[in-house]
Amino acid sequence: MDREQLIKYIQDKFPGKVTLLDCGRVEPFFKVELGFLKEFCQAIRDDTTLGMDYLCNIAGVDSGEHYEVVYSVASVKNKIRFDFKIFPERENPAIDSVIDVWPGANWYEREVWELYGINITGHPSLKRFLLPDDWNQGHPMRKNWDAPDFVRMPEN
Amino acid sequence: MSEIDKLQTEEFVLNMGPHHPSTHGVCRFVLKMEGEVIKDVEPVVGYLHRALEKICENRTYAQIIPVTDRFEYCTSMSCNMAFALAVEKLAAMEIPERAQYLRIIMLELNRIASHLIWFGTTALDLGAITPFLYGFREREFILDLFEMTCGQRLTYNYIRVGGVARDIPTQFVPKCREFLNIFDACVDDYERLLTENVIFVVRNKNVGVLPPEKAIAWGVSGPALRASGVKHDLRRDDPYCIYDRFDFEIPTCQNGDCYDRYIIRIKEMRESAKIVRQALDKLPEGETRAKVKMVFKPPAGEVYSRIENSRGEMGMYVISDGSTKPVRVKMRGGSYNQLQVIPEITRGHKIADLVAIMASMDVIMPEVDR
Amino acid sequence: MELAGIFKYFYELLVSTGLPQVWVDIIAMVAAAVIIFGFLAVCALFLVWWERKVSAHIQQRFGPMRTGWHGWRQTIADAIKLIQKEDITPMTADRAVFYWAPIMCFVAAFAVYVVMPFGDGLIVSDLNVGILYVVAITSFTIISLLMAGWGSNNKYALLGGMRSAAQVVSYEIPMVVTICSVVLFVGSLSMVDIVQSQAQIYQWYIFRLPFGPIAFIIYIITGTAETNRTPFDLPEAEQELVAGFNVEYSGMKFAMFFLAEFVNMFTVSAIGTTLFLGGWQGPFLPSWMWFLGKTLVLVFILMWFRWTYPRLRVDQLMEFSWKFLLPLSFANLILAGLMKYSGWFNW
Repeated sequence: MDREQLIKYIQDKFPGKVTLLDCGRVEPFFKVELGFLKEFCQAIRDDTTLGMDYLCNIAGVDSGEHYEVVYSVASVKNKIRFDFKIFPERENPAIDSVIDVWPGANWYEREVWELYGINITGHPSLKRFLLPDDWNQGHPMRKNWDAPDFVRMPEN
Repeated sequence: MSEIDKLQTEEFVLNMGPHHPSTHGVCRFVLKMEGEVIKDVEPVVGYLHRALEKICENRTYAQIIPVTDRFEYCTSMSCNMAFALAVEKLAAMEIPERAQYLRIIMLELNRIASHLIWFGTTALDLGAITPFLYGFREREFILDLFEMTCGQRLTYNYIRVGGVARDIPTQFVPKCREFLNIFDACVDDYERLLTENVIFVVRNKNVGVLPPEKAIAWGVSGPALRASGVKHDLRRDDPYCIYDRFDFEIPTCQNGDCYDRYIIRIKEMRESAKIVRQALDKLPEGETRAKVKMVFKPPAGEVYSRIENSRGEMGMYVISDGSTKPVRVKMRGGSYNQLQVIPEITRGHKIADLVAIMASMDVIMPEVDR
Repeated sequence: MELAGIFKYFYELLVSTGLPQVWVDIIAMVAAAVIIFGFLAVCALFLVWWERKVSAHIQQRFGPMRTGWHGWRQTIADAIKLIQKEDITPMTADRAVFYWAPIMCFVAAFAVYVVMPFGDGLIVSDLNVGILYVVAITSFTIISLLMAGWGSNNKYALLGGMRSAAQVVSYEIPMVVTICSVVLFVGSLSMVDIVQSQAQIYQWYIFRLPFGPIAFIIYIITGTAETNRTPFDLPEAEQELVAGFNVEYSGMKFAMFFLAEFVNMFTVSAIGTTLFLGGWQGPFLPSWMWFLGKTLVLVFILMWFRWTYPRLRVDQLMEFSWKFLLPLSFANLILAGLMKYSGWFNW
């Protein structure tokens, strides 16, 4: 399945819910409606033509104006790969967890939650991940985050 | 009620790491144990977090290449490559032929070097100290070759956007051939030490079995995935650079246990040597770097590009807004998913098996923590 | 150049001074203890150096080279370093147990040498229960390891201590059964009798087919396990338990464990020599040289194991002992009994 066919297939399969974005030079890039995420993931994984059984990556993005969460998925069987993204709200951002679809999403979602402050509904263990356990200085990957001055933390 | 019945057993929580000889960097496992048997594992990561992704947002594209070196320091060439490839995809750049071949040579030599580290540490984690020294002896050859080429032995900063940093010196090709000539015999040596060693086999067979469906669902890639019987190699399935011009095998195994992961990597070393040999034979003359402007600004866009690293899929997700600095760089390493799946396949095994599994997955912590 | 003659000369000199017999005995005993102690200390230092050289050459490197000829002064420097180090006791440790564990290990390792036949007539005391004494005393080491594991109040140390207890208990049995098969032939437990029954090379028990070679191999395997060396070094498995039972020890206490390990290795080899390789018997050279030579060959084999093999897992270790070594050693004992009874191979 080449690029054009893939775009057409996905747009026909999910009319109105998925739009093509014009970014990305090689693999197609889609925008998925916020509430449709989990359904979409389930559908593309179980669809026999697509069979996107492999989750490559989940990346949170803060473009300055809005948050994005980008999913890169691939099919080991059918050798297809594409990306899609969703745009959570600016205030109190939250997205659905896709652990049920791809268990490997676990740590990626924890990372998005921790570094961008995007809440993951349905995630079993949102605990501190990369940052120290006593971290209380916000979400460092946000663009408006100011690095705190380097001061020695008080001993307990 | 007798005295014996009154005795209670309780779960025993063992903190393995962060400073532990076999956690490959600084990873901590919180083990819930019953005697020697592991009931549950929870990996605790983040001890090597250096905020590489945040740093990348404040660097120009040329400055990011040395940052990617630190992403996965056992195969820095691959990290450079993954980033350069992503940016080249964004900018739709043409790479000179000679640079393409040099990249392949470096990537495959680096894959061998990385597998040699894995070979040494695997044996070391199982208690055999001698193979470690053997692996590092050959790795030294490769590091000398790299040093000759780019002056560095660990963080190369060699593969750049648009090509490679500089041409190889004239002694490189004969030295490299000299290495390849002895290398197959060296791998035979390694195999004689471990492959049929009874103790090594019983320690690894049927330990940490990872079924193929589970491996794919958890995002496991690279040798660990191929050991489970999935013939998936990005060099073949999603060809990048010029890998489609080379003739090499993709070894697979069936059981997905630690022993198969060992076999796969040993075979891969031979295949990599084969690729390097072919690349040296075909190496054309010419430029080694495309014309890249001093102030490099790729067009706006975003791309996720992935390459096959020695530890699995290494991906770089780059967003450019048309300025000199990227908006976002996300690094994805194979170890991330491999470490994530370890609790799944470790429950019910002994503590010594956790060490064997960790070694066979070839997890390296900087790649996880970034 | 028989050393026994020299010692005998000094003993007679002592008697001729006219001291009461009690004093003569006491002085002789103290002298023997000091000589044995000195010999073992030097021997352990030598073995540490030798192990480093053997491992280095197996791994295609040189090992220590800078301190003296091929680095022979290296272990002396190491010993001095260890003596100077601070002796740390963890706050939560059980102090008494923690303190006595290395001493006990050390004493147990040295006490065996009372019955060790170093050469013709070169034995401190030829007990008539010699080999039984050896088996009993070497088992003492295990208590000290358990004490170290428990007293450190450290989870790794405790796991290490438990492992070593389980391991030594299960390997002791095939070892003793194998020793029994030799004792059956000799008809005596005395070390000197055991050696004297192997006067000619073809009488060495390793060559008494078919039971001898099997018994010898079982002995070497169990001996490796008894001394906690690779592939049976689970109690101190550094990749799993960091350093096992001695993880909390430092300075001199660590050095005691360390030296005891090497002394134990020498002990196992020396007993192996006595039981299977004819002890100090041999042509031309003085008897003590034969003894040392044969023992060092066995020590070298143990080192060779260590630098070649990976480590077994704890359940595989138990399986190997109970399901393989134990039945084999009993079968071997029965075989030896049949041979003795029927008179075949009784040259």
